[in-house]
Amino acid sequence: MFGQFKYAVKYALGLDRAGRHFAVFPDDTFLVSYPKSGNTWVRFLLANLIYPNETVGFANINRLLPAPGVSSKRFLRNLPRPRILKSHEPFDARFRKVIYLVRDPRDVAISEYHFDLKKRYIDQDVSLEEFVKRFIAGETSSYGSWWEHAASWIAARRGNPAFRLVRYEDLLADSVGEAGKIAEFLGIQAEQELVKTAVERSSADRMRMLEKSQAHLFSSTKDTRQDIPFVRAAKAGGWKSSLPEPLVEKIESAWGLLMVSLGYELSSQSTVEATGSGVVESLLNNAIR
Amino acid sequence: MIRHLIAGTKRIFGLHRPGRSLLILPDDVFLVSFPKSGNTWTRFLIANLVYPGRRASFGNLHKLIPDPQATSKRDFDRAPRPRIIKSHECFDPRYPRVIYIVRDPRDVVISQYHYHRKCRRIEDDYPLENFVVRFLAGQTCPHGSWGENVGSWMMARRNRPEFLLLRYEDLLAETCRELAKVVSFLGIDANSERLLQAIERSSPDEMRKSEKAESHRSGLTKDSRQDISFVRAAKSGGWKSSLPQPLIEQIESAWGPLMQSVGYELSCQPRAQE
Repeated sequence: MFGQFKYAVKYALGLDRAGRHFAVFPDDTFLVSYPKSGNTWVRFLLANLIYPNETVGFANINRLLPAPGVSSKRFLRNLPRPRILKSHEPFDARFRKVIYLVRDPRDVAISEYHFDLKKRYIDQDVSLEEFVKRFIAGETSSYGSWWEHAASWIAARRGNPAFRLVRYEDLLADSVGEAGKIAEFLGIQAEQELVKTAVERSSADRMRMLEKSQAHLFSSTKDTRQDIPFVRAAKAGGWKSSLPEPLVEKIESAWGLLMVSLGYELSSQSTVEATGSGVVESLLNNAIR
Repeated sequence: MIRHLIAGTKRIFGLHRPGRSLLILPDDVFLVSFPKSGNTWTRFLIANLVYPGRRASFGNLHKLIPDPQATSKRDFDRAPRPRIIKSHECFDPRYPRVIYIVRDPRDVVISQYHYHRKCRRIEDDYPLENFVVRFLAGQTCPHGSWGENVGSWMMARRNRPEFLLLRYEDLLAETCRELAKVVSFLGIDANSERLLQAIERSSPDEMRKSEKAESHRSGLTKDSRQDISFVRAAKSGGWKSSLPQPLIEQIESAWGPLMQSVGYELSCQPRAQE
């Protein structure tokens, strides 16, 4: 009862965490991704682009590029508009303008495994094999499985001019070029010099340095195991060396259809699960243009 | 501020409608559809099937098959398990088991047009062409567009054992056969007598009778125009006579592949993709 009362007071004052229950405005832009797909990196990139005079770091990223999951409703309501907000939600019809960041699920699995260890969501003795099984079933995240997440967004918004699909891998390979395209989508006037500076200020090395001094000030790193870093490899294709063959096969056979249509080459000869219906295929044929 | 305090107090006593913050239980079953796709009829069918002792009506439907937007949190907590919950939401990964009803968008748009008239959201002379434009853009309801709602569920969950897809049109044509799918999906023990009784108790005539007697007690019909009924034609294919050709074309060109994938034949030649 006391907990409920405390919540009621917080609710009345607008201090409760927004989560999914906050007012979305039609001019909002959302940076959406499945967890562990490079969202924090892109938040740094965008914050550095938009606020070239600020020193962007873990201490202020939740203020510069806010996340409804950790901010209060009042804070979100009082932000200057148009707002750019970070989100891990699967398809949400209220989000009108969306940058959707997608990453190879074979790398996402490894990244999430390390992150869940860091967060103590799982014990050290949970094997990668056990984790991948739960990862495929969508049990490691409250945002659904990687397939459900990406598929729901792509099915709903493919071809929509207010939807921009960005692959983490492309952003790594050509950061300045891809960041420039995102800036254009956001309507930010950014000279190439500014984009270059933003990319440098968001480099993995710089983020690692910032994490060392500010980990205790950031929602995702506070009170976590400090022996596992938040900014990890910052690479693509790590799965080739660190994900055992049978686990690669499991992921590919579950999600191969969507992976291929996103340009992620399958390594195994594993049979992609036949879906039995044309819906996925016919939607995916139109998905990525 | 006062409004917030009232809302906060309601919260303490569980009288608020949980909406999206509904605590979902692992054995919950969700009855999901885009609005105006036969959800209320299916709710009647399932309520009469699962609770034969309590005849479903517009007055008690929100207790039998609760709706997070209309049923209080307290009633949710008291509902018998497994709960069967009504929803119009687009894909939500938290829903453990889902019965999804899909209906031909060419009929949905007409149904929604009349519903908006009933709710006084549009005037009687509001042009259907304008409505279709807003319908396609997902601006006629808070649950996305038809394509977003159907597409997000189809891609995320179709062919999974925890997902049962029903077409409104099949439900109309072969009610008994389709309802039997629900019986086996829910794992309930219902003989064909009980099935037929549920169908009979949920017929358009029965629903119209209940609407007449109890429309003021239901959030679905309360405070809306009483000269337009909530239970309308209860038919499929009405679009063929009442939707002008250019509007049919617009809908088909927006959602053609998705419509075909759930078995709705297109009436126009698909335009060549660039």
